[in-house]
Amino acid sequence: MAARPAEKHPALLALTSSALLLPAYQGVQADAPPQYTELGMRYSKYEEDDTRGSKTFGGSSQRYDIDAAQFHLLAPVADSWSVAVDVQWEDMSGASPWFVGQSLDGGPKVVMSGASIEDTRTEVSVTTRYFYDRGNAGVNYVRSDEDDYDSNALALDGAFNSADGLTTYSGAVSYSSDNIEPTQGSVPTNTRKADKDTSSAWVGVSRIISKNAIVRFGLSYTYRDGFLTDPYKLHDKRPGERNEWTASTGYRQYFSWPDGALQADYRYFDDDWGVASHTLNLSWHQNLGESTQLIPFLRYYTQGEADFFANVADLDTRYYADDYRLSAFGAISAGLRLRHEIGNWAITAVGERYESDESWGLYNGDESPALLNYWRYSFGLDYIFK
Amino acid sequence: MAALHFDHRFRAMGGPCRLRFDCSDDARAARAIAACEAEVGRLEQKYSRYLPDSLTSRINRAAGTRTPVAVDEETAGLLGFADTLWQQSGGLFDLTAGILRRAWDFKSRRLPAPEAIEALLPLIGWDRVEWDTGAVHLPRPGMEIDFGGCVKEYATDSAAAVLARHGIDRGLVDLAGDMAVVGAGSVAQPWSVGIRHPRDKDRAIAHTSLAAGGLASSGDYERCLVVDGRRYGHILNPVTGWPVQGLAAVSIIAGQCLVAGGSATIAMLKPEAEALAWLRELGLPWLAVDASLQSHGSISLD
Amino acid sequence: MKQLTCLFVMLCLCGCETVQPWERGTLAKPEMQWQSDPMESSLQAQINASKEASSGGQGAAGGGCGCN
Repeated sequence: MAARPAEKHPALLALTSSALLLPAYQGVQADAPPQYTELGMRYSKYEEDDTRGSKTFGGSSQRYDIDAAQFHLLAPVADSWSVAVDVQWEDMSGASPWFVGQSLDGGPKVVMSGASIEDTRTEVSVTTRYFYDRGNAGVNYVRSDEDDYDSNALALDGAFNSADGLTTYSGAVSYSSDNIEPTQGSVPTNTRKADKDTSSAWVGVSRIISKNAIVRFGLSYTYRDGFLTDPYKLHDKRPGERNEWTASTGYRQYFSWPDGALQADYRYFDDDWGVASHTLNLSWHQNLGESTQLIPFLRYYTQGEADFFANVADLDTRYYADDYRLSAFGAISAGLRLRHEIGNWAITAVGERYESDESWGLYNGDESPALLNYWRYSFGLDYIFK
Repeated sequence: MAALHFDHRFRAMGGPCRLRFDCSDDARAARAIAACEAEVGRLEQKYSRYLPDSLTSRINRAAGTRTPVAVDEETAGLLGFADTLWQQSGGLFDLTAGILRRAWDFKSRRLPAPEAIEALLPLIGWDRVEWDTGAVHLPRPGMEIDFGGCVKEYATDSAAAVLARHGIDRGLVDLAGDMAVVGAGSVAQPWSVGIRHPRDKDRAIAHTSLAAGGLASSGDYERCLVVDGRRYGHILNPVTGWPVQGLAAVSIIAGQCLVAGGSATIAMLKPEAEALAWLRELGLPWLAVDASLQSHGSISLD
Repeated sequence: MKQLTCLFVMLCLCGCETVQPWERGTLAKPEMQWQSDPMESSLQAQINASKEASSGGQGAAGGGCGCN
């Protein structure tokens, strides 16, 4: 039998609020660093479907494969600090769409980059976080290195809880400086050396709405400036600036029967290139006994095309691009994540299928012949030192 | 790996104590048990009026001197809770009333002399105690305070918090009948707990399910005098110095064991009819046993 | 966006009950966190950002990559 809410009787309210000033009841609310050191590893395989023969001009229709390994370490330091180190290696190979042309039968077809691209990327991210009674604040540095690209980013973020602990205000700012030096393949590239900067700010507020539900709302703004053109695409010339806005909301609801939680997240995106998008993520987190969780997830994404997108680019205009990523389409992905704990170990397995199609979108536009479908699998092992 | 079930018994605060919880790791469970015992021991050492070095003894020894005794946040919190109990009970709960024990000897078969009680009354009065969040001062020599009315309940909650900090998300702390559940109780099956019989401390008068929060009981448990067929229980009114003609036992379930215990104590200090009315109004699950061993209340029994 | 703001304000005005600190155990469960698996979330965000025209909205934007 659970105790009833404490609002009922003034005597009960007085006793409860005076009791809760005692130290034994303080720990519940305060932000605290993780109690134990956690180590995690993931291996993921990402495989794009071949582009269908009817949509390519001869040549190879094979697309990208990526093998990715992730390493994660999170450790408490002293009483009120934590340090996290994340390292990710990726090995990419395959071909990507080079340009789209008009075929004799009338439909646009894609020409893939001839030579196979081989690239590796290493990303190292270090975060230190300070926890205080009413929130936490973190500093994050990320460096990413590829043969033809490097990026350095710094981010600051903080969270602050209201006195009753029901509302959390969060904010973050970041700055990233990226350098591009195309080296790949035999295709001519759009630049020899260029750079771009990204500045971004985010504010969010989350609110506990019941013992079993929490909601969040966030707004972000990102400003990109520099060489935003894709260096490897034949028909690609984009503006040197981009302003992006997002509004997002998230919801988590726990159900004691059947001991599971619904996670729902929605994001609206808008920018000054004419792209707008809606993203809806739904997942159901089902506990099966004490040590197993089964998490099916579903994502719907739809975007409108950029103002300067055309399947067959008009090279006489100021800006142009035939990149399928700037076209109008809808995408659905569905997957299943399984996590099983064995003592201090946990194994994770994920399978996900992503498919995109112009007709699934909410926005009208020319269907790009280069739209993408892929499979992704991840396997992981986590260990907690306790 | 399935969680192992731990059941650990020990003695503290003058009674049998028990920790029951689920944990997947022996070493962590052992650390949690040791930390719990240490926490209960710490509070006993700090607040016992029987130990000369306890904070309670130091505060009492300084009674009537000009020097206030400095107190920490925890003690200030307990003083604040005692003050709330005093206000909410209309002065019936009084941290300074313990001194009446000098007149009332429940082991003897005799009533105290009325003059002996009269003589003690000037030393009683929470409103005379000078205290704030940093210090406490008993103004008259001979005055005493006794945290006995709330430390065991507080220790129960604190032990539950210690278990939670050791990563235990389902457990039950039982310090001689005062109980607190560890964890949200959402996944957990509720704990079946016994409510102590007011006339037989080894027997349960009832069993109920406790899914979250705490349960505390207060009773006169045999400590009484029967003179000329009239029963004098050990629950004393601090204003008159004489026993309250109230309930034999009260158990309450609340968000915290401390709140349950404080509410049960207030109910025990009120005359029977007033106590039953107050319990009904309070809105917490309760079970009361009256002097004729009749049970009343809203706690659903298993 | 306006509708979302309204929805949020409405949720806060009438949907919120006072949830005491000791009643927040369920909210601390891993499945109730905004990110229940950080490695999984970061990989998904990276893949989506490199195959779609939009990104961000989950905290500040991180560093870039030349993924195509």
